[in-house]
Amino acid sequence: MDLLLAVGRFLLATTLLLLLTIPTAFVVIQMELKVIAQMQLRYGPNRIGPWGMFQSTIHGFKFLAKEDHMPDQADRATFTLAPWMVYMAAAMSMLVIPFAPGAIAADFNIGIVYFFAVIGLSVVGLLVAGWASYNKYSLLGGLRSAAQMVSYEIPLTLSVVGVVVLGGTLNFRELIGWQQAHGWMVLWQPIGLGIFYIASLAEINRTPFDMVEADSELVAGPFTEYSGMRFGFFFFAEYVALFIMSGIMVALFFGGWLAPWPFPAQLDGFGGTLYGLLWFFLKSYLCVFLAVWLRATLPRVRVDQLMGMAWKVLLPLAIVNLLVTAAAVLVFKL
Amino acid sequence: MTAEPKVIDPLDVERAEEARLRTAAGLSPIGRAGGEYAGFESVGLPDRPPQTEREREVYTLAEGEMLVNMGPQHPSTHGVMRLVLKVRGEVVIDIDPVLGYLHRGIEKLCENATYTTVMTYVDPMDYLSSMHNEHAPAIAFEKLYGVQAPKRAEYIRALVVELNRVFSHGLMMGFLSLDMGGLTPILYGFINRDEVVDMLSAISGQRMLFNFFRVGGVNFDANDEFFSRLGTWRSGVLKTIDMNERILTDNEIFRGRTIGMGVLSGKDAISLGVSGPNLRASGVAFDVRKAHPYSIYPELEFEVITQSGGDVYSRYIQRIAELKQSIHLIDQIVDRMPHGPVQAQVPGIIRPKPGRAYAAVESPRGLYSVYAISDGGPNPYRFRMRDPSFISLQAIPKLMPGHLIADTMAVMASFDPVMGGVDK
Repeated sequence: MDLLLAVGRFLLATTLLLLLTIPTAFVVIQMELKVIAQMQLRYGPNRIGPWGMFQSTIHGFKFLAKEDHMPDQADRATFTLAPWMVYMAAAMSMLVIPFAPGAIAADFNIGIVYFFAVIGLSVVGLLVAGWASYNKYSLLGGLRSAAQMVSYEIPLTLSVVGVVVLGGTLNFRELIGWQQAHGWMVLWQPIGLGIFYIASLAEINRTPFDMVEADSELVAGPFTEYSGMRFGFFFFAEYVALFIMSGIMVALFFGGWLAPWPFPAQLDGFGGTLYGLLWFFLKSYLCVFLAVWLRATLPRVRVDQLMGMAWKVLLPLAIVNLLVTAAAVLVFKL
Repeated sequence: MTAEPKVIDPLDVERAEEARLRTAAGLSPIGRAGGEYAGFESVGLPDRPPQTEREREVYTLAEGEMLVNMGPQHPSTHGVMRLVLKVRGEVVIDIDPVLGYLHRGIEKLCENATYTTVMTYVDPMDYLSSMHNEHAPAIAFEKLYGVQAPKRAEYIRALVVELNRVFSHGLMMGFLSLDMGGLTPILYGFINRDEVVDMLSAISGQRMLFNFFRVGGVNFDANDEFFSRLGTWRSGVLKTIDMNERILTDNEIFRGRTIGMGVLSGKDAISLGVSGPNLRASGVAFDVRKAHPYSIYPELEFEVITQSGGDVYSRYIQRIAELKQSIHLIDQIVDRMPHGPVQAQVPGIIRPKPGRAYAAVESPRGLYSVYAISDGGPNPYRFRMRDPSFISLQAIPKLMPGHLIADTMAVMASFDPVMGGVDK
């Protein structure tokens, strides 16, 4: 009976999360369209629905109606599989996101390790897509993605280790509990946050680190030969990953579902969940807004400057940050 | 039971036809792998023996090198240019620009047109500086025919070409940023351009291909709408430029990618024939408006601006400085504009005496000149145009080896080529 319950709960949670990726992608894409439009002094989408609200939904359905084209010489199996690998990496990492108290799909003790293990899988998908497309732009883009994401994973993970050392846990729920008691992690780990933010932008290929697509150089990088829903999955995965990275940043550094003022003690159960969801989504979408703002402002970093920054600046900084944190924890018995 | 009619694949028919034509022309058949066109290794290679030493050099691949074909359909080749890059990983070893995809035979069209209608053909050449395209032939034909445009016409001409220079340089800032992945400045550039082309359409009747200059004057006098739009635009333009500049000039990423990138020395620039802002950015103070004055430029006060760097950043800064200088010139022109007619007396069909004339103007991309020969007939016997973008493009294969693919786009955008002018 217990096993049946667990399986049922697992199926429900995964289905809900897979379904959640779709509106998340729609909302993030819509936000990007509208916010960048405002920053570039134009209207943005304003035809479909009130204030063009359903533009990204229509974009999503448009992918279904498009011709699915595959290059003659593409490697069929891997070409088909690549979008799924990228999409599943994004969707699977959603399992451990702490949306609200009682609203974590899988609340297990190595949530942080799981997250960074799974989100790193998308690089395999991009590399495979680049290789299978039988296109030189795709190949260059795929290799760039491999170099970039593997390099940036190191400072990204090291910046989080500082948080883990301080919080003393690898579980997202307990980490948020620690932040409730001691104040948000951003107060304790500001340098860690800076490294995490830069590295996470590189990890999900956002401007100014969007070397992988690099539309003015590589046309569309690994996605060049993709069309229809296959491209749609890449597209979705990218925006879902943006939301997930924002959500994880909120959970690690900005107190997750905690309100900026003390959480009302009487709000337990369902009310507490709703209140937590409100704050979690508010903070996450603020971080998404920040990424969109950067996209409207900054030009792209060059590929060698990007790698130089990872290895020469961020990695030493992350190691020093970790050492100082660890020493402080030992000395002050935090 | 009727047999299914066999549907012929149109692609097969095309391939068979192509193979037949190739055999007839004595060319080698197209290499096929697995029943398809040539594979990964040979995409971008010309399917004929190399014609020149240079071609042999570019298309011979050493171990670890590959050819990447950029264009003619590529997001940042400024129209329909094709670059064949020889790369080792991300590093560019060699570049072979392939031109001619936008060739419309404009010189020949002009030779078959009357002197008046030539103005309509030169417009779409360098489509970001249509006014300059018309200015040079107008001066050349006036020299041929021996007619002088009235003073007010000369002032209006100078005014519209400077306005044209403003929006052209403004767009260059945007395109340079766009080729580096910055999306926003191009939108600001186009807002500025829209204001200017609305103004120019008020005076000429058209937004892009103005067809405004005439032999011996201009088509219309400046009207109230033009001046009212000019005033509105002038009151806000410096602020707009500053806004556009703030997003780029001091941006750390932008500076990191442009300073010291694609350095063209003044000596090299002169020997390649590069002119205009690209030459002045390399420290050579050559401006046609000063060196060989035409129109009313001797009467206006301005300095030749130069930069010392010769890199992408210098070329960008040079554009901004010239943009502000153009606004300064516009102020002077509007201030001193005399009254009077805008068109000299010329017949409907102009038949100059046999002779030849040369006229050069300073276009936003450099020295733009026209050489016209008359045989006494109603159309030019020979009509030759020197387009500055064509010359500037020669610098790119010289500058790029050793840099990255991403820099190719930045360096190319910094020369601001317009393929309509390159391919004519």
